[in-house]
Amino acid sequence: MFIGVTGYNHESSAALVDRNGVLIDFCREESLSRIKGDKSFPKRSIKKILVSNNLGIKNIERVAFYERPLSAFLHIVKEASLHMPRSLKLLTHQFRSFNRSSVCCYLDFAKFFKGLETKLIYSDHHLSHSLTALAYSNSKEDICSVVVDGFGDRSTASISQIVNPTEINELWDCQYPVSLGLFYSSITDYLGFAINEGEYKVMGLASFGDSKSKSAKLVRGLMDWDSNSNKIISDMSYFDYHLSTSNSFNKKLEELLGPARNPFVRLIPGDSDFQRCADIAKGAQDLTIYLLEKIFTHAHKLTNSKSFLFSGGVSMNSASIDSLAQLPFVEKIIIPPSPGDAGCAIGAAFYCYIKSNSYSDLNIAKPSLFPSQKEKRNDKFLTEQIISNEFSILERDEDGAFLKAAELIEAGEVIGTVLSCSETGPRSLGNRSLICDGKNKDAVKNLNTVIKNRSPFRPTAPAMRYGVAEKFYKLRPELYDCYKSMSATCKCLKNNVSLEFPTTHVDGTARIQIVENNSTLDKLFSILEPMGIEILANSSLNVSGDPTCFDLVDGLMVCSRTKLRYLLTDLGLLRRKT
Amino acid sequence: MKKIKSELPIFYETAHAELASALEMLAACKGTDSPKLALGYFLHARDEYNHARSFFNMLSERGKKASIEKARDFRFTPPSLIKKGYISNKGFLIETMKLKDFIAFVYTNELLAKSSFENILILVGHSTEEGKRIATIMNDELRHHGMAKIHFLNHYPSLQPWQLMIYRMRETINNKGRKIYDANLKFLDRLLTPLYRAMAFLAGTMAKKLNLNEFKRKGKNLMNISSNSIL
Repeated sequence: MFIGVTGYNHESSAALVDRNGVLIDFCREESLSRIKGDKSFPKRSIKKILVSNNLGIKNIERVAFYERPLSAFLHIVKEASLHMPRSLKLLTHQFRSFNRSSVCCYLDFAKFFKGLETKLIYSDHHLSHSLTALAYSNSKEDICSVVVDGFGDRSTASISQIVNPTEINELWDCQYPVSLGLFYSSITDYLGFAINEGEYKVMGLASFGDSKSKSAKLVRGLMDWDSNSNKIISDMSYFDYHLSTSNSFNKKLEELLGPARNPFVRLIPGDSDFQRCADIAKGAQDLTIYLLEKIFTHAHKLTNSKSFLFSGGVSMNSASIDSLAQLPFVEKIIIPPSPGDAGCAIGAAFYCYIKSNSYSDLNIAKPSLFPSQKEKRNDKFLTEQIISNEFSILERDEDGAFLKAAELIEAGEVIGTVLSCSETGPRSLGNRSLICDGKNKDAVKNLNTVIKNRSPFRPTAPAMRYGVAEKFYKLRPELYDCYKSMSATCKCLKNNVSLEFPTTHVDGTARIQIVENNSTLDKLFSILEPMGIEILANSSLNVSGDPTCFDLVDGLMVCSRTKLRYLLTDLGLLRRKT
Repeated sequence: MKKIKSELPIFYETAHAELASALEMLAACKGTDSPKLALGYFLHARDEYNHARSFFNMLSERGKKASIEKARDFRFTPPSLIKKGYISNKGFLIETMKLKDFIAFVYTNELLAKSSFENILILVGHSTEEGKRIATIMNDELRHHGMAKIHFLNHYPSLQPWQLMIYRMRETINNKGRKIYDANLKFLDRLLTPLYRAMAFLAGTMAKKLNLNEFKRKGKNLMNISSNSIL
C-alpha cells in the first residue's frame, strides 16, 4: 500500500493506492476537521485512511510528500531577498515559521505516525499534479501535461511530455514570481474575496463585465506572453505577493484600478461599484484565457500532442476550458476532479506506486469520482437519538426513499444528499449535494439564496444525463470527461430554451455536470425523467464558508442550521421536524 | 471610526472562539460512543454555530464602516482557527483530553464565556438588537454550563459539587495563565522583532547569493530525480 500526502501550503489531504495501482481511499483534512481550506499536517486524514482500510504502519510500503519542501522554501526566500528591505517582514515570517513549514514534514510524520517517516519520499510538485491527471486519463502514454498554479516547489506553470508513467520530461516552465495563479488570487483579494476561496466568485462575477471597458483593458495589460522567448511576462510592480505576508497587491494597483473593495460589503448586481468590479474580474478572466491559450499552443508546438492533461489551481477556472477546447489542435483535455493541491495526494501516492514497480508491471487504474470512503463507524447507532429528536424518517427503504425524494423534487423542494462514498472535491457530484428541479426558478432561488446564502451573481450548476445535455448545450467532445466532474462550462445552444433556465449564467453559459452511469444522480434521474424532470440544480451540501459535508452528522448539522428540510441518506429519507 | 477600530478585534476574536467551540462540540459528537451524548454535543454544536454566525454578522456590520485597510485585517479565513490557537495543532479537545476533563472544561468555560459576553453587552448596549442577541447567547451559555454540570455529576456521581468547584478554579487559573502567557509572548515578540529582522536581513543577504539554477528541471525526466531529496 502507498500513501500520498499534501499539506502546509494549501488544503491538505491523503490518498491511498494499493499494489495493483487502484486508488482505494482519499480524504481531505478539511472534511474531518471541518475547517475549510485546512492546510495543517493531515494527521486525521492519514489516520482515517489507515483505520478505514484496516492498515497499520507496517502495511505501508512508501509514503510520498507531494513536493520538495526545501526547494519551495528556498525559492520564496531567494526571491524575497532580492527585494530587501521591503520584503523583510516576509523573510522574518519565513524563518520564524520554518519549524511549521513543509520542510519539517518528516518530523510531523515521526511525531504522529512513528515509523512512517522512514518510508518517506518526495515527489516534484508539478509532477504530483501531472500524475494525478494521468490517473484519470484512459491513455497513459504519449500525452502532454500542462500544470498552471500559484506556486509549486520551484515554478508556477509547466509543460511536460509524458512518454509513459516512468518517463515524464519537463519541457517548459514559468519561474516564480511570475504566476498566473497568484495574479488571479491578487485580483480576488483586490475585489474583497478571500484568496484560495473566492477565485470562483471572481469567475462568476466576470460574466457581468465588459471586455471593452477601461478597467478590463487595464487589467488585461498587467501580464502578457512574449512570443520571442515563449515566456509569460508580468509587471510585478503592481503586486506584493512575493514580498509580503499580508498584501498580495500594492498601492500602485489601486492607483491603476481604483480603491480595493471592502471585503465586508456584499456585492450585489446594480450596486454603484458592481460594474467596476465586474469589469476588473472580466479583465482578469480574459487575461487568464489568453495566457492559457498561449501556454497550450506552446505545449502543442513542443510536444506535437493533441491530448492534454490540465491540472493545478488555475485549471479550476472552468470558464476558460471551453475556449481551450476550441483551439484547432486540441482533441482531448483531461482535468482531474480535484485539480488543485489537495488532489496532488493522489499523484503522490501513484508516484510511490510507480517508483515501486517496473514499467511492465504498471497498471494505473482510473480512479472513481467518489473515492472517499466513509469512516468506520456505526452511523445508525450514533445518530439514532439525533434523528429521533430532530428528524422524522419518511422512508427507510432505499428505493422508496429515492422515489419519495423524486416526488419532493417534483413538488419544488430542495433535497440534501449524504449517500455512500464522498466526492474527491471540490465539486459535489450528487453524493454530498443540494439538489432541486433545475428548471424551477423558485426552487433554484431557494437553494441558492435562502439555503446557501450565496452571492446573487453566482449561478448554480445543472446536472443531467448526456442525451439531455445534447438538447440544450453546445457540447464539445474534447471535454466529455470534464463535464462529468463539472470542470468546464459550456454555452447554451442558440435561441434555445436553456437560455431561460435558472441555472444558466448571465453570459449564456452553464457549468454542467453529465452524470455518470449508476451514480446517485443517475438513479434519481431514472425516476425523475418519466416525471418530466430532466435537469437538477446541483450545489455542494454545506453552509457558506464551511467545507462540504463529509459524513451523516455533517449533513444533519447543515439541515439543522439552514432552512433545508429534507435529507436523503443511507439510512433513508429524513425530514427536519421544525 | 475610533470605536469601530477598537470593536473590530473583540468581535473578530469572539467569533473565532465561538466557531472553534462549535467545531469542538461537533468533533465530540462524532467521537462519542453514546447516542445520548451525541445528541447533547450535536445540539450544543448547533448553538455555538449560531453564536458564531451572530458574532460574524456583528463583525461584518463594523467591518463595512471601517477603512478598507482595517477591514482587510479582520477578514475571516477558517485556517486562522488553528493559526491563532483556537483549535489545537494536536487535535480536538475530545481527542486529547480525558472525558472527565473535557466535561469539566466545558462546564467552566461556558461560564467564563458568559462573563466575557457581559463586557460585550455593555459595549453594544442592552437595549439594542445586538444587545438582545448577546443576552440570548448568554442564556445559551448558562444552559450549556448547567447541562455540563448535570452530565458531569451523572457520570461521576461519587464526585461532589465542591470538586467541580476545584475543576472550575483550575480552569480559571489556566485561562488566566494563558492570557498572561499570551500577553508576555506578544510583549516578547515586540521586543525581539528588531533582532528577528536583523537575523532575517543577514539570512536574506546570504540567500541573495544562492544559485537555484540547478533546481531547474527543463529537459529532465522528472521520474529520475532522486525521491529522497527535499531539494
